[in-house]
Amino acid sequence: MSIPNSPQAAPPTWDIQHLRQHLQYAVDLEFWTIPFYMSAMYSIVDRSSDAFQLIQSVVNQEMLHLQSAANVANAFGLSPSFDAPLYVGQNIPHLNFSLDDPDPSQEPQFQPYSAEIGPLDAARIHAMCLIEYPDWDSDDKPNLQENVSQYANIGEFYRAIRYGAQELQDQIRGGVKQVDFFSSFYRNMPAMTVTESGKNGFYQVGLLFDLITDQGEGIAQSKDDIQTVFQNTADDRNQELDHFDKFEQIRTAPLPATYPLKPTSEYTAQDQEVLEILLEHFAGLRKNLRALFNGKNPEDFVRLMVSVGAAIQNCWKQGVLPRFS
Amino acid sequence: MANKTVFRVHPSINFARIGSSPEFYLSPETSAGLPLDNTATTGGLPIKPGTESEFVTSNDLRDAEGLLKRQAARFRLYAYELDGLDTYPCKSPAQEIVVGSRLADGRVVKDIVWTAHIANKKAAAYVVVNSQGVNAYADGKVPQLRNQGVYGDVNAPTRLSQLMIDPGPRAIAASAKTNAHFDAVTPASYVDASGKIQEQADYPKYFPTGKLFEPTGKLNTLGEIQTDEKGRLLVLPGFGRTAAQYDEYGDPIPLTGDLNNAGWFDDAGDGPVSATLIFEDGGVEPVFGAWVICGDPGFAPQIRNVVSVWDDVFDVWVRELALQPEIYNPQSGTFNPDYQPDFEAQVRPIFRAANLQRWTTNLPKMALRAHDAVDAISATDEPNRTIMAGLNFIRNPNLPAELNIGVPLMPLSVGDAGTSFLTVTKTQYFFLEQWSKNNFASDKGSGLGAGEMLDMASLSNCLGGRFVPGIEVSYTVRCEDLYMNDWRESGAGPFRVKHKALNYAEVNPKTPFLTGGWIPKHNMTDGLEPGDISKFMSIPWQTDYNSCSIHQPSINTLGVNHTNGNETTLYWSWPSQRPDSVYVATEVVNNVLPQQKWAIRGPGTYALDPKSASTFQKALQSVTDWDRLGIVIQGTAIEGDTYDPEYYLEVQARFDDAANADNPVLMWPFNTHG
Repeated sequence: MSIPNSPQAAPPTWDIQHLRQHLQYAVDLEFWTIPFYMSAMYSIVDRSSDAFQLIQSVVNQEMLHLQSAANVANAFGLSPSFDAPLYVGQNIPHLNFSLDDPDPSQEPQFQPYSAEIGPLDAARIHAMCLIEYPDWDSDDKPNLQENVSQYANIGEFYRAIRYGAQELQDQIRGGVKQVDFFSSFYRNMPAMTVTESGKNGFYQVGLLFDLITDQGEGIAQSKDDIQTVFQNTADDRNQELDHFDKFEQIRTAPLPATYPLKPTSEYTAQDQEVLEILLEHFAGLRKNLRALFNGKNPEDFVRLMVSVGAAIQNCWKQGVLPRFS
Repeated sequence: MANKTVFRVHPSINFARIGSSPEFYLSPETSAGLPLDNTATTGGLPIKPGTESEFVTSNDLRDAEGLLKRQAARFRLYAYELDGLDTYPCKSPAQEIVVGSRLADGRVVKDIVWTAHIANKKAAAYVVVNSQGVNAYADGKVPQLRNQGVYGDVNAPTRLSQLMIDPGPRAIAASAKTNAHFDAVTPASYVDASGKIQEQADYPKYFPTGKLFEPTGKLNTLGEIQTDEKGRLLVLPGFGRTAAQYDEYGDPIPLTGDLNNAGWFDDAGDGPVSATLIFEDGGVEPVFGAWVICGDPGFAPQIRNVVSVWDDVFDVWVRELALQPEIYNPQSGTFNPDYQPDFEAQVRPIFRAANLQRWTTNLPKMALRAHDAVDAISATDEPNRTIMAGLNFIRNPNLPAELNIGVPLMPLSVGDAGTSFLTVTKTQYFFLEQWSKNNFASDKGSGLGAGEMLDMASLSNCLGGRFVPGIEVSYTVRCEDLYMNDWRESGAGPFRVKHKALNYAEVNPKTPFLTGGWIPKHNMTDGLEPGDISKFMSIPWQTDYNSCSIHQPSINTLGVNHTNGNETTLYWSWPSQRPDSVYVATEVVNNVLPQQKWAIRGPGTYALDPKSASTFQKALQSVTDWDRLGIVIQGTAIEGDTYDPEYYLEVQARFDDAANADNPVLMWPFNTHG
């Protein structure tokens, strides 16, 4: 983890509300990726295929990232909300690829791309690569735009949040509504939660940001493996690869067979029912996530989390396009 | 065949379990972990001796000296009135036959004469091959023999006389209220065609001889038989004793591995059980006999295996032996898409088993909550609304590639020979598929009669799925020529091991009576001799039990990681039957669960590497201290406090916890150091 120069040297440029807003956006973004990636994953017929396994390992880490972002949010006094994510056009929450120079979304290997829920096809894998696209200019000062949707990539987004978090580290309160479902999957990680306050709490916050960015798109332009401390030690055979590299592997190989989709006009009552079940489960999951990261320890959380995956797969098996709102 | 009365011994395969005490309790007659009527206690608990069905409690597991009691296999006799070809379940009601029973035709049973013959051929048999399983016998091949230093082939009298343990048959009459030991002193005896017991003094008996290292006492018996007050047979096993030869330096031959230790013997065994009915009118009737297997203690009798021996045996009978054509057509090789499995009998046991794993493994809290949700599924739930919707997290046994995929696919324990992970059987999977398609019955019931229930219960309390080589039985239970295939015509009923015809009247006192015996995949259809099931198990059993706690899946695949996970990740070997981590009942206060402890702990068990946790670090300790292990039983059966009925806790361990170095149980997933 790198620590920028002392924040006390200059007056704070972020206030706590701005930081909390960013942390909510971080939760929004991490949460958005999960149904998007899961839908692509469950569209694959062969669960043992490399593509399925690679995406699954990313989905698992996105859940960890969601937990991490929410834990940091709670350390700064924000119990995040979990609104229904929208999957429209090419809109990925809080990312604007055109701010990057060159704009990766204009590169031919990532065209076309779509941020709409769909099977694992070219448009989806291109979008997945773009979401995890490396932060090419990470040595530069973070972009601190007031418009928080204006980040070129996730790396830059988290660098901005880290900047604010460091400035406001005195407001960190450890041990507040922290959740940990993953520490035994990351045996080398010192901590998955923020247990300390102030400066020591910021060390933990920074560690979680590093975890997110290193697993996601890797460190800047380097092609290095994920640092050992952030590597999954349990259920990821490609634990050293970041998300971008994993998605690139999928993109550059023949895409696996996916379940055929029906036109919505051909949906049967049973098809409608599996879709309704998915919507119900997902709404329940959002409610439970809200409770989980608000210190409520909801009994139904794991059941709903697992059931959402099952419901997505059920949709695909019937040729039904999953929906989440 | 029409209007014929037939008699069958049940369970068709039953299990006596080794203990160090002369005292015993009776084999369970209910199915592990499943709900029972009118009690909060679930199935699988052994039964108090002298009772019909009273469950043991924590106070019944050891004797006054603290020795672990043995489990006697209790066999019952049932009469069936068959009309034409038999079916499964049998259409005829089953009438239990005891001394004094009156049959439908008016005959009264005067006596029951039982015969059993237990042998142990382990040291004379072939080695267990980790990566091959039953395929080591395919294409006319056999693995190498154990104890190759003893000259001869598998049938050589020189080998059998030195390596086989065979006390010969024993016969007892219920009316005599006596017993007979499978030792070198008690004369061999058998029943002739007229129902009379004949002593066979010339029977050539074999026990390990010469200078032997026998760390827990002389290996001089494979158990005994006796009858209860109603004339049922009780088969008691041995005492868990082992014997080792000495090497040329005068030291006991070391235990160098888990499965095939040269120069070692144990007192497990197996063999046929048969009976002859003597009627008051002087008539005599033979019965269809059963098989007894004497092996490992049941250290967690109510923790159901996700795949039990029953599941494996039922699967082979359904798919290879046309047990129930309404389920599967062997000619077309297809399951019947219209078949509706019964939820309670054919689906729920899988869900129940999943949730019970928590009591013998170090599952993380996320898995516990998921398993809670699985176990909570009832017949009234819409499958697509449950956590098991679409079988999204069940490994499909029909897709070989999935056998190497770990989480989130279940079951998560290590798989069968040559595969990384365990899978439910194809028949179990079919039942799950039918349920998931909402094509199941909620009120059909199992349809099994009393004797058939005993068959199922007995086998369902044993480890299936992962036969490397297994705990009670091995992969041979999946071989159709192990069984009497003509059960419909003969009236024998299914799941009955085919007895090789043995003429005890003609023996040669100078040469072994038994041979190398039956092996799989060699078209041997004349039946099994005593010892032909246990010989596929490890020798001695203690070393395998000890080592089969926690593994990398690559143990099954020649050391190469084929899984989708980290090669150092550890999984459970036999988590239901061989507890890895437990909650100690005496540490539960006010029903608050304590930290788990390793099931094998205390001096000599400290493990630097988690993959060696919960084991005796030196194999020799496993043959001396195996009876110190505790037993995991339900809170309802634990004396001394009021425990939550949903808890299954370890009781009666004999480890010196005070002398134990801190060796904490890590939450899964955990890793080997290398």
